Amino acid sequence: MLWVDKYRPKTLDKVTVHDQVAQNLRKLVSEQDCPHLLFYGASGSGKKTLILALIKQMFGAGAEKVKLENKTWKIDTGTRTLEIELAMLSSSHHVEMNPSDAGFQDRYVVQEVIKEMAKNRPIDAKGKRAFKVLVLNEVDKLSREAQHSLRRTMEKYSSSCRLILCCNSSSKVTEAVRSRCLNVRVNAPSEDQIVQVLEFIGKKENLHLPPGFAARIAAQSNRNLRRAILFFETCKVQQYPFTSNQVVPPLDWEQYVSEIATDILTEQSPKRLYAVRQKFYELLVNCIPPESILKKLLAELLRKLDADLKHEICHWAAHYEHKMRLGSKAIFHLEAFVAKFMSVYKEFLVATFG
Amino acid sequence: MGKRPPVVVLSSSSDEDGGGGRRGSSTRRPRTPATAPARVRAQAVSGSRKKPRRESSAGRGRRGSEPAQYDSLKAEFDMLSEDFSECFNDLSMPGSLQKTKELWVDKYTPNSVAALAVHKKKVEDVKKWLEEKMKEPKATVKAIAADLGADIYEWATPVPTLWTEHVHANSGLRYISKLEEFENFVEKIRKYTVLCPTSTKSQRKLTIILIDDIPVTSGKVSFARLGKCLTGLIQSTQVPTVISLTHYHKSESNDTAMWNSEDIESLLQGAGAHKIAFNPVTTNSIKKILFRICKEESCDASEELLHQIAISSGGDIRHAIMSLQYHCLHPRRHSSALSTSTARAGSKSRDSLVPGQVSYGHSSALPSPCGRDETLTLFHALGKFLHNKREISDADIVLEPFPLKENLRRNSLKMDVPEKILSQAHGKVRTVADFLYENVLDFIDNEAVDDAWVVVSYLSEADCLLTGSPIASYNSENMAQLIAASVAARGVLFGNAHGATSRWHTIRSPKLWQTEQSFRSNKDQILKERFDCSRTCGSCNFSDLVTEFKPLERWIGPRNDGPSIGCLAHGVGDSLLGLESLDVDGNNSEDDDEIEDC
Repeated sequence: MLWVDKYRPKTLDKVTVHDQVAQNLRKLVSEQDCPHLLFYGASGSGKKTLILALIKQMFGAGAEKVKLENKTWKIDTGTRTLEIELAMLSSSHHVEMNPSDAGFQDRYVVQEVIKEMAKNRPIDAKGKRAFKVLVLNEVDKLSREAQHSLRRTMEKYSSSCRLILCCNSSSKVTEAVRSRCLNVRVNAPSEDQIVQVLEFIGKKENLHLPPGFAARIAAQSNRNLRRAILFFETCKVQQYPFTSNQVVPPLDWEQYVSEIATDILTEQSPKRLYAVRQKFYELLVNCIPPESILKKLLAELLRKLDADLKHEICHWAAHYEHKMRLGSKAIFHLEAFVAKFMSVYKEFLVATFG
Repeated sequence: MGKRPPVVVLSSSSDEDGGGGRRGSSTRRPRTPATAPARVRAQAVSGSRKKPRRESSAGRGRRGSEPAQYDSLKAEFDMLSEDFSECFNDLSMPGSLQKTKELWVDKYTPNSVAALAVHKKKVEDVKKWLEEKMKEPKATVKAIAADLGADIYEWATPVPTLWTEHVHANSGLRYISKLEEFENFVEKIRKYTVLCPTSTKSQRKLTIILIDDIPVTSGKVSFARLGKCLTGLIQSTQVPTVISLTHYHKSESNDTAMWNSEDIESLLQGAGAHKIAFNPVTTNSIKKILFRICKEESCDASEELLHQIAISSGGDIRHAIMSLQYHCLHPRRHSSALSTSTARAGSKSRDSLVPGQVSYGHSSALPSPCGRDETLTLFHALGKFLHNKREISDADIVLEPFPLKENLRRNSLKMDVPEKILSQAHGKVRTVADFLYENVLDFIDNEAVDDAWVVVSYLSEADCLLTGSPIASYNSENMAQLIAASVAARGVLFGNAHGATSRWHTIRSPKLWQTEQSFRSNKDQILKERFDCSRTCGSCNFSDLVTEFKPLERWIGPRNDGPSIGCLAHGVGDSLLGLESLDVDGNNSEDDDEIEDC
């Protein structure tokens, strides 16, 4: 088992980084009436850990028995029947899913799933009808329509189920949804907190940490606790006892993207563009999200770029990132960005070096 | 559908030579010629062969009363209805019905071998085969049979009962599909052929069975039924049987493989049928026939008109005769309209002095009210967009009212309007965009990375438009879809300003499709692996999972096979599975070759 899973706090009592939030959540559940919740905060800050601990607090150990299934939803839109397949995790008390995976059909998923959950409500020990919890991930990626239908269903079925929404940025969640939830901000842990966690794990694993080692990993993790722990374990596998100048191996996809950046900078032609496309395909097949590719690619390109061009390139990256969200085939927009970059860069090279 | 715009062009020209008297109606007038031939044609093609006259005259009656209603409605429509009825006067008035008693198509059905427009050699082929089968050397499909003096038993297509109609009517009638009826027919022939002809006195008289219209099948089951039925017929029949198939469907149903004439063909050949292939009737032969009809009907159609009709019929002789008859109904107006249009087309082609020009000119400069809609294969259309053929230099640019900047100017296209090509190719817009995206970079000059950007940016816009209409359904009529298709096609044409030197390219099927497929399966697998690994419901966001867990797990995990980009490479890398590469440059159809010529 990975350390990330092994040392994840299972109950609200054991939460260390966000102990204050955990306290409040426990109070909330003990009063029996739990509102809809919206957790937001940076990636790797502990939202999911809190949610899982909260569910365990609500339903006890039963909530830990979960199964993963790919469910196909048949949705009748009036003119034709859509079939949408979605992966979901479920226990007898809760369902967790990622409706934004359904792309632009996400609104049907939201409606349909909640409707179905409302239909078969579990009955608790006292014979009272209990509510089910629906955990929706990446709510900020839901389309506007889906968020609207989410709001309607939230009101309609509030007696039978509770929603726990989870997202990175609450600014992309509509006001209407936000105001119907209790917003819980989970901020990214500070580097000190990360160091504490790493030292805690080190103690449990009986490792000797050279001074400053944990701090270096924490700095590299960009205040992402999950990443820090993963880095930590990687270092352990690579070389133990630790040395103080040990480096964390790079992520393979990031390395691959920086190769792409080098390709782009060495030659600007349709042929090279085509070669770059093949590399993009490879990343996409491996499920690397196109947004991450674009972001990383931009960072790599900016590192080697003349300051004059930086502004323009950033503009185009933003432009095509936006297009990417509007459209459905990310590769079109990724390639458009690369083509634009090539065009601008080539012009710059010709103007500068002739 | 695509016929309307050219007709509107015609209206302005006829306005000029029509003089002041008719100006009021001139804007509406073109509608009549546009709809009328389509209807007449529809009757001739879809109506039952045996009794076209009765059906069509019934249709005419209905149509004749329509304008009368409009007439009473508003004075504004007076001119319109006048035009309308004028156009059909000759047909609908009982008096004139005698004048044109028959559709010329039926009237001039060839009765002898000599009258056929088909190449002599083909006729010989058919003849030889029939002679052989009948062992009757003295005797010589309809024309030959007449010469042979043989009876023809035709499979008369029954009026189809649509399933929905049947449900609606819910009468006592049993629903009989066309396929079933066809089976019955074949069954009857197999059993009773020997009896029928001998019953009459002419014992020696010969019989030929002609099957012209094989029922359309959809789905494997019904196709298998049809196949069984046909093979049974071929193997057991004692009478010469002629089955005629058309390839026309092939280009029509690009992606829906519901009718597969090739399958039937190979099936029939497998069962021992003898195949004789017919090419489309050549323009010259059609012209000859039209001349003959003109002479016999004593109507004076100009040679140019006949030429125009012959060309626009696209090898469909029935259609050519129908449009000739239509023109002769009202010679004054239509000949003037047509002659202006031909004059235009003619002048244009004379300028560029390429005879091949006419071959696409017929569809681009198609202001004539006749002419059938051409269909293109998807690949043909893609080839047009990708090759981006343009005039070498364009004199028109000087005449442009709004001169453009040098870098925005393009020579005019050597093809139809892109929208028209798209509608002829009727593929799904998404498919077209994907194919264009996959292949366009090959056609851009390797120096012109700016062009590449323009092209890709238009495709990116097209993608956004396509996504913008989520409940797109499959009919391409959706407005946003049409616009997206137009943006994609025109973007590719406009952006590729410095085309690569022409060389042979294959069109690849979009790798994107494969990528999406393997993306989905990989995703499921990753989720499952993660779940197996953690056993708690604590999966995180998928993107985090992929960007953080996966790569680091590769280091940590038990199967520590090092940091490898190689790990990334499962799936896409090498194989181009799926569609085979297709050849755009030529060989798809003759039409394409003609374009290459110029």
